[in-house]
Amino acid sequence: MVRFKNRYVLCEVVSEDPRCRQCIEDRALGLAVRDAIARVHGDYGLACCSISFTVKYLNAYTGTVLLRCRKDSYRLLCSALPFVRYLESRAQRYPCFLNTLHVGGTIRTCQKFLIQYNRTQLLRLLQNCTNEEERQCIQKSLLSCSLTEEQSQSGEEEEDDSTD
Amino acid sequence: AAAFERRVLRRAAEHHYLRVRLELSDGGARPNAAQFKQLVVTALRELHGEVGAALPVDVLTYEEKTLSAILRVISSGLVKLWSALTLLGFYQNRRCAFRVLQTSPFLLALSGNSRELVL
Repeated sequence: MVRFKNRYVLCEVVSEDPRCRQCIEDRALGLAVRDAIARVHGDYGLACCSISFTVKYLNAYTGTVLLRCRKDSYRLLCSALPFVRYLESRAQRYPCFLNTLHVGGTIRTCQKFLIQYNRTQLLRLLQNCTNEEERQCIQKSLLSCSLTEEQSQSGEEEEDDSTD
Repeated sequence: AAAFERRVLRRAAEHHYLRVRLELSDGGARPNAAQFKQLVVTALRELHGEVGAALPVDVLTYEEKTLSAILRVISSGLVKLWSALTLLGFYQNRRCAFRVLQTSPFLLALSGNSRELVL
């Protein structure tokens, strides 16, 4: 009955610059989001949202980010996300923006949504293929995607986007 | 006999009015009306960010001699404004403090102050 409730905000980092991919890291992203909250909501907003704020999950290949914050301040966080204009790391700035995909109460609901979303995204990628080669490539990687329990760390999970 | 009807309006007033006084150390330029408003907006920006600075605050009257003013703010923004005024510490690198003398949802209520009543 009395427990701290969190909200998990699922977003994706969209950038035109392909080099932005490798600079997506949790500390840089956390700093960028906190900086945006400080600008938009001031000292009070920053303190409110930082109580339980972390970057829970980050996928640099797909640009998927999962942020966590307290339930009382998730609206402050969500309203400040459009103000993240660039990511900075290693003294390099890459313009980008964050697309909010889903806000959930637990990591599990966000994961369920992400699996569904990635399925539809893969289908859309398949439709937008321009030539036969890309089409074959995507189809092959879709068919080879499976949930394996391997001893190596690279176990494919359903929600990984394996279009490398 | 006519039926008795009671209507209660909660939080019906659009604006809240505050009579404030700025305490500033002597020996220094006193802010004029525009600088006073700039100070209020700066206080809001520090504590509540751009969203706070965009709050519709009006300085209805300002007296440079006594540094007292009547501010008007939209009712939903009263807490933000009051907290921002409380936590403002500096004006042009000089220590300052805002004292809120009266506050009311009605402007007329600010004309009388029972604290300054001389009996």
